[in-house]
Amino acid sequence: MARNRGRFLVLIAAALIFSSALASSIFQPISDSHRSAALELFNPLGGSFSSVEKTYEELRTFEVLGIDKRSDISTAACQSVSEILGSSSSTLKDLFYALKVNGILQCGIKEDVFEGVASRLQAIVGGASALLDFYYSVGGLVLIKGQTSKDDLYLADAEGVFRSIKLWTTLAWNSPTLSRALLGLVADVALSQSDGRWRYNSNNPESSTFAAGLALEALAGIVSLSSSEINQSLISTTKNDILKLFDGIEKYDDGAFYFDEKLVGAREHQGALSTTSSVVRGLTAFAAVTSGSLNLPSGKILGLAKFFLGIGIPGDAKDLFNQVDSLAFLESNTVSIPLILSLPATVLSLTKKDALKVKVNTVLGSNAPPLTVNLLQVLRSGSKDTSLIESQELKFDPENAVYTLDALPKSVDVGKYTFVFEMVLHDSDHKNLYATGGQIRIPIFVTGVIEVDSAEIAVLDSDLGSIETKKKIDLAGENTVSLSANHLQKLRLSFQLSTPLGHAFKPHQAILKLTHETKVEHMFVMGSSGKQFEIILDFLGQVEKFFYLSGRYNVQLAVGDAVMENSFLKAIGHVDLDLPAPPEKAPQPPAQPLDPNLIYGPKAEIAHIFRAPEKLPPKKLSLTFLGLTLLPFLGFLVGLLRLGVNLKNFPSSSVPAVFATLFHLGIAAVLSLYMLFWLKLDLFTTLKALGFLGAFLMFVGHRILSHLASSSSKLKSA
Amino acid sequence: MSPPHRVNPQPLSLSPRQPKDPTTTKMARINFSVLTILSVILLLPVLSLSFSPDSPSDRRLLVLFDDLSLKSSHSIFFNSLKSRGFDLDFKLADDPKLALQRYGQYLYDGLILFSPSIERFGGALDLAAVLDFVDSGHDLIIAADSSASDLIKSVATECGVDFDEDPSALVIDHRSYAVVGTEGDHTLIAADDFIESDVLLGENKIELKVRVLNVYGFWIKQAPVLYKGIAHSLNAANNLVLKVLSASPAAYSANPSSKLSSPPSLTGSSISLVSVVQARNNARIMITGSLDLFSNRFFRSSIQKAGSPKKYDKSGNEQFVAELSKWVFHERGHLKAVNLRHNKAGETDEPAMYRIKDDLDFSVEIYEWSGKSWEPYVANDVQVQFYMMSPYVLKTLSNDKKGLYHTSFKVPDVYGVFQFKVEYNRLGYTSLLLSKQIPVRPFKHNEYERFITAAFPYYGASFTMMAGFFIFSFVYLYHK
Repeated sequence: MARNRGRFLVLIAAALIFSSALASSIFQPISDSHRSAALELFNPLGGSFSSVEKTYEELRTFEVLGIDKRSDISTAACQSVSEILGSSSSTLKDLFYALKVNGILQCGIKEDVFEGVASRLQAIVGGASALLDFYYSVGGLVLIKGQTSKDDLYLADAEGVFRSIKLWTTLAWNSPTLSRALLGLVADVALSQSDGRWRYNSNNPESSTFAAGLALEALAGIVSLSSSEINQSLISTTKNDILKLFDGIEKYDDGAFYFDEKLVGAREHQGALSTTSSVVRGLTAFAAVTSGSLNLPSGKILGLAKFFLGIGIPGDAKDLFNQVDSLAFLESNTVSIPLILSLPATVLSLTKKDALKVKVNTVLGSNAPPLTVNLLQVLRSGSKDTSLIESQELKFDPENAVYTLDALPKSVDVGKYTFVFEMVLHDSDHKNLYATGGQIRIPIFVTGVIEVDSAEIAVLDSDLGSIETKKKIDLAGENTVSLSANHLQKLRLSFQLSTPLGHAFKPHQAILKLTHETKVEHMFVMGSSGKQFEIILDFLGQVEKFFYLSGRYNVQLAVGDAVMENSFLKAIGHVDLDLPAPPEKAPQPPAQPLDPNLIYGPKAEIAHIFRAPEKLPPKKLSLTFLGLTLLPFLGFLVGLLRLGVNLKNFPSSSVPAVFATLFHLGIAAVLSLYMLFWLKLDLFTTLKALGFLGAFLMFVGHRILSHLASSSSKLKSA
Repeated sequence: MSPPHRVNPQPLSLSPRQPKDPTTTKMARINFSVLTILSVILLLPVLSLSFSPDSPSDRRLLVLFDDLSLKSSHSIFFNSLKSRGFDLDFKLADDPKLALQRYGQYLYDGLILFSPSIERFGGALDLAAVLDFVDSGHDLIIAADSSASDLIKSVATECGVDFDEDPSALVIDHRSYAVVGTEGDHTLIAADDFIESDVLLGENKIELKVRVLNVYGFWIKQAPVLYKGIAHSLNAANNLVLKVLSASPAAYSANPSSKLSSPPSLTGSSISLVSVVQARNNARIMITGSLDLFSNRFFRSSIQKAGSPKKYDKSGNEQFVAELSKWVFHERGHLKAVNLRHNKAGETDEPAMYRIKDDLDFSVEIYEWSGKSWEPYVANDVQVQFYMMSPYVLKTLSNDKKGLYHTSFKVPDVYGVFQFKVEYNRLGYTSLLLSKQIPVRPFKHNEYERFITAAFPYYGASFTMMAGFFIFSFVYLYHK
């Protein structure tokens, strides 16, 4: 897993660095964007930070970046500093950071407060057994020494403390088992490991690179606090340890060096940034207090600087502090000060006659000591052949602190190049003081306008190769060529490309695209010989690839390259292709994605069409026929009157007359029941009523009819 | 009269994201054992933290990295999520303790995969677990880059997006690249071919805070988005996936440092740079081939598109990513429909049945989740269908700007069992699918017309006949 992590780190860092593949050796020093990022990230809520450690990180970052925001938080910060220093119960870590904050803000803490803190720290140093205790207490004493007027502050037994951290180094180196056995017996600590790493305390078997940085810083503090000279052998052992620590350094492809914890999942796992930052702090502190060289290769120091710069602008306050703080230490270290060569632009236009500009800065962006920048070589990228130019010196413009090469060498055409630079320091004393990194290879893109000439499109007859139609096209302007061809013909497209210096030019992208009406696309890469680009499409061989789709094809030509300033995508026109009908098992063209608007748009409204009502005759006609149906009735009445109807047979005696009246009323009731049935009654009500009426009618009908029958038979017999 | 039917809004409100509670079935089986009751009590606070139909925004997100340094290099994006109230859980993708669910409950509402090169997740997480997570209605953001592993590519493929198979290919665009002095190979792209959708990209266009119509009637374009990464294309068979940001027509996907011998597999506008998927269960997925899209460096970078004189101080990335993440995590574009009601014109109670040719009123309320509260949804394209096998009536509803959609129409003269159907699928919005069944009967025998003029001659004939009979009965009996 650790191996994987390492690989991921490489990948991520490569992604972080502005362009992973090509700009491998371009690192920009700290700039204004860091300052604005710092102001964004350190945004104290309510004027004060949650912890004094964070306050220190903010103040230190602002101090290094030269941002004056001190007044905003100094009152609140100083108050908490004096609280922490005055209190006897504050933790060691808080004391340490409070002293650091005081170092920046100069809060005006009273001497006696310092004295109290100093005596407390000295007591802790004497009885400390864990690395962090040493680190904080020794660091605190160093800070007090720097902040008070007292000179007599020193460690009574500096060498003893030094030993107690350092004691078992030699033993551990020679015989790890013996040292481990001794560790169990001796109450003292042996925290240094044979590979230069350190442990946090004697009970913890995990060794840590982060701890090594803390230990070096603590050791440096002890040396500076020591009243007498520390034994040189101890110093040289420590120097040896540092060299061993640097043997375990890790490297990115772009020349950046960093430290990482080997043990993943350790109790206090630190990232590569904080680990490297801790080592840099320890290393620079130790180098500052000891005399004599550390014999560290300057390339590694430069590599460390590159690592911090390669991170870019961290988005985390802690990371930004680690980056800026470490760079500040590297800027002023005594081992070797890294110088960063950077280019404001690595894309140079031949057409605009851009000058090659080079800047040399320290990591924090301040000016470099007097030096000369030489352009040693210009190599065509991808080929290892000889340089295109002689070595030449860049002109220094003191006003802008920029080294320039006014005109690019005449032999440099458009293309990708690797420029090799070298920094030569003027002062020979500086050579040991600064790390320049030897030869610096920087990839450069030289761009220019490519000339496009004699473009033409033609339809050829297949067998003879004779030209049927030929059209010139202007690839700089608009074209609407319209051609037609069948599957026995060929389409030829040709054009010429040449560089500003008149050489042949092969772009990365030279693609002919035919798009059918149904959005099926076909692409062809254009081949070239010299300046001439030509493609001949034999439709007979392409019929299957074209899915037998006849119809209109739009023709587009895309020519583009990273160094071509006038890359283009041009619609040339269209070709009407007449292809044979597809055979049965011809491949189907691929499906095209649906247009989202078709899926997501509202649907068309649907209104129900009701069944049309049956056709009825007009009202007038019905009423006319109603009148006609009344006519027979009228004729009947008239006929009766004509015949001279009388009712002389109506019974004269009272009982039959009542029955006769009831009988006819009954008939009238049945008929009006029919009328009511039509108007509103339903069948059941009607039948019910009819039943009663019928019975009644039968009774009275029988009576009157029998009366009439008997009276008529009387008449006959009489 | 039948008693009035109350519409119970709860079963109608659309809540497919409601996690199915497995404890209910378990409870039935173990017969209220103490253990189960305890587990329900224990799980209640967990459930109440996650999204619910009442507040569908995501709350807890799991972010997976290849390396924790991404936390710092992409901090602006994460901080914007935190400030919007999300709980972010940062883990390494190979963390052996990774798990999306515990005891059948999902621990997270959303997953952010910022681990392009991971070959195998740690812990209980694998391809199937990620897909199950999405299938249960949770959201996903996938960011790949040139180191994209087969695992990440296959997650994307399952979501309907195919990354370029060539592992060394990058999106190259020689026409609309971002002009940067130190970037020469045109793989840093200034992309501005956005989808036209306010719900996906927010109403504030990236450059201007207020929308302004220029003289031609087009929206003024927003600042381009910086993109550096790999290309993908949409699966043509999947119509749930959408291109949000597509490459320009001149773009192609190839290895910038080697010669192009065969035509690139992906070119032009068919290259998608950022795609989104809204699954049928309303789970939302965002897929992009550029992890740098989210990085602080791209957020802060100024941008100038090649060939354009306009230089923007800030790229559109920050706003683009923020707006799109609001959509992905259901802070926008989440609809609910409640109170589906219908009644006969002039009445207020919902009938059990309609007769053909009745006039009816139909109404439904639709609200959109704004991230904090349900706001009335205003649109003029909500439609209702009166449906039996196929729609008989399809009508656009009018709204009162307070979320109430209303229309009225006449019941068709076809009887049978109909449904009121509201199917609302709009780009970027959760889909609404509501239906309510209602029978339609024909006329009763006494509901037909009684006095048809055309029949008057027949009636006239009958009644004169009767009158004649009445008179004739006198004449016949009493004439002498």
